Amino acid sequence: MEMFLMGLCLSLLGVAVSAAAFAAATRDEPRHRESEAGQKLPLPAAQFFLDDAGRPAAPPRVPIEVLLLQLEHHVRLEQAAAESFLDLPTRESLHTPSSSPLVH
Amino acid sequence: MTERQPDLLRGLAPADIAAVVALGARIALSEGATLFRLGSEASSLYLVERGRVTLTLPMQLAGREQDVLVEERLPGQMLGWSALIPPHRFTLNATAPLATELIALPRQKLLDHFAEHPQVGYTVLTNLAGIIGHRLQVLQAMWLREMQRVIELRCA
Repeated sequence: MEMFLMGLCLSLLGVAVSAAAFAAATRDEPRHRESEAGQKLPLPAAQFFLDDAGRPAAPPRVPIEVLLLQLEHHVRLEQAAAESFLDLPTRESLHTPSSSPLVH
Repeated sequence: MTERQPDLLRGLAPADIAAVVALGARIALSEGATLFRLGSEASSLYLVERGRVTLTLPMQLAGREQDVLVEERLPGQMLGWSALIPPHRFTLNATAPLATELIALPRQKLLDHFAEHPQVGYTVLTNLAGIIGHRLQVLQAMWLREMQRVIELRCA
């Protein structure tokens, strides 16, 4: 009988210790998760939006075919401007800007 | 031969023009065909008879190499001075944006002809010097205009 009671007491003690350990473990976990989330969230999100707001909008991408046409047009206009300078060389005619969109 | 007198042969008598042109061979280029590439051996000078030839240089645009127009040659104009100037390598790419006809004048035949007809050689080489000189002045002016813009951008 004494042996039985001792076994019972030990079993109860074991159950109590296990329950206490489980309770402690489950109580720590959400707090830990909370703190992790608390560390992650604010910085990257805030920096991302702050940077975008401060940065000027990127220039629209010009298709390569359009850029090539613009360059061709620019070369023709600049050649014409250089030719007219040679016809009548003056300081003004040398530096008068052409109507090329690449120089405005 | 084109009705307009070719810039290289200006000042020559019609018989002399015919004799120089007879040294060459006619070449027909289809739309988009390449006449020569940068770095290739230059053994002939070309006169444009019909169509057009664009002279381009490679440029890096958006991470890709693209041929960018530098100059154009129209009927009556010549191209390919590199054939007469050492080291006889082309320094540009030449392509035909439309169906084009040219006369290819081989360097050696030209030089032999000039040796036999010094007056023709003198006139042709004087024309060549004038053409090269004019293009040099145009490019100098273009270069100076670009330099002015670079300075204005730097100081803005």
